[in-house]
Amino acid sequence: MKRGKHQDVFTERPAVKAAPDARQLRKLAGDWLKQRRADAELSQADLAARLGLKYYTFISQVENGFSRVPIEIMGAWASELGLEPAAFARHLLMYYEPELHRLLFGAERK
Amino acid sequence: MSVVAFERKQNTGEWSERELSTIFTTLGAAIAPGTGREWETGMTEKGDAQFYLLGALPDQACELCVSRIGGRYILEDGSGRLLFEHRNLDLVMLHAKAAVPSTSWLMVRAITLWCAIRNTMHEKVEPLLGEGEELLAQFVPQLAAFA
Repeated sequence: MKRGKHQDVFTERPAVKAAPDARQLRKLAGDWLKQRRADAELSQADLAARLGLKYYTFISQVENGFSRVPIEIMGAWASELGLEPAAFARHLLMYYEPELHRLLFGAERK
Repeated sequence: MSVVAFERKQNTGEWSERELSTIFTTLGAAIAPGTGREWETGMTEKGDAQFYLLGALPDQACELCVSRIGGRYILEDGSGRLLFEHRNLDLVMLHAKAAVPSTSWLMVRAITLWCAIRNTMHEKVEPLLGEGEELLAQFVPQLAAFA
């Protein structure tokens, strides 16, 4: 079943304690993205096709934690997963730029 | 009747020894110790092999990704840009080698450093030398008069 907008998928926090490195955080972001894609009942190939990518290899690259979701397709990525783009971007910022996320939004309650 | 045994091309699953050997032979310089780069392998959800060339710490972001889908090799950068694709891995790796920011990047850094040093010399040291010459030109006649 496809998850509707504004559902509580953003309350999950990275399960890390002290200063995890960028690579670990990207992996956590990838796991979160993989779960959201599964919720939307899309395969990597489906998502790639909807984002206009010729191959699904980049989706795998991001979900395996080796790359980030590029800013230019972040909105489309969110929409295809049935998520609100601003909340999606904000959630990814928590993994990709944790210090910037903290400065902008403060420490969120767990 | 004799049957010629052609090598069967791998379409799915992990990288074969031969494929990995081709990758490491081509990217040897890019992942040599001292470059700070690392590499990893992974899989798509359909079981297609992927090879990731990772940049240096602290980010260790993917610089290049080579994937094998149905006997076809796909070369992408870390932003998902498709750089090249072909059934021949050697050919794909030649493109990968050219796409790695290695020697050319170091050369650019060296040239930039050289230009900065030249500029500093030109702005700071040369005026000092010029002043010295002027002083000398002023004092030499007076010194000569004393002598």
